[in-house]
Amino acid sequence: MSLEAIVDSLPLSEPVLLILVSLAGQPRHGYAILKDVERMSDGRVVLSTGTLYGAIRRLLEDDWIERFEERETSRGRQAYRLTSRGRRNLQLEVDRMKHLTRLATLRAATNES
Amino acid sequence: MLNAYQLLLRLYPATYRAEFGEEMAAVFEDVRTDSGHNAFAARAVFYVREIVGLVSGAFREHLHFRFNAPDVSLFPRGFTVRNGFRFPRATPILMAIILAGVILAIRKGEVIATSLPPFSQPVTPIHPAHSYLLPGVFEGFIFFYAAGLIGWAIVFALRRSGVHRLRDVSSGSK
Repeated sequence: MSLEAIVDSLPLSEPVLLILVSLAGQPRHGYAILKDVERMSDGRVVLSTGTLYGAIRRLLEDDWIERFEERETSRGRQAYRLTSRGRRNLQLEVDRMKHLTRLATLRAATNES
Repeated sequence: MLNAYQLLLRLYPATYRAEFGEEMAAVFEDVRTDSGHNAFAARAVFYVREIVGLVSGAFREHLHFRFNAPDVSLFPRGFTVRNGFRFPRATPILMAIILAGVILAIRKGEVIATSLPPFSQPVTPIHPAHSYLLPGVFEGFIFFYAAGLIGWAIVFALRRSGVHRLRDVSSGSK
């Protein structure tokens, strides 16, 4: 995927962004992602399993995340982690948001003065 | 409940189901167990969220697998069931109106049924009443159900527009 294509896919939807942020810290399985997203958003974003796995399918397809078998648990569950492409795209999105926040803060301050 | 979930999973394309079906069911079971101690309303919201997520997800995946369509949603943006979801206060009133309508329609149907002459005598209607009166229980139910839905949609649209918050806005001038 070229940089232009990545930039075209921004801004990310809030659930996708939160899933990527959740996986940026450490690899997680589906249930852990759901709980982490809920915790990070203070309960504002609560994903259903249908929404979560729809997003996971797209992220796997675009090679933003990868799947592996979690060996630490007895159940041998599938877990997910960010690929280098996913991490780079997340960074691009964070940079975009930072730029927007800076701009908004500046404009709001100018308007007040 | 897990059986019902697995049944709904059949709405998804077979390839998707083969890849994610088992895992989705396991996660659903984990979340369901986790929410087992919650209040009835919270559990109801959880089930509604899961059903909405599954149906819209299946719709999206079919579009994707069949037509390679970009991701679309079956429900309008913002139609999500969150933990803080509360029914509008008008909902119980509308539900009571619908219930009263259904009961009235049933009563009317019973009255008509008992007042009809026996079948041995041919009945010749003076004019076709069914064209402007509710003829039966089923039609009555449909009518009041539709009225309730329209009422709910109006309340939902008004709440989405934020009109109920207007009273909180003060102009600052006394």
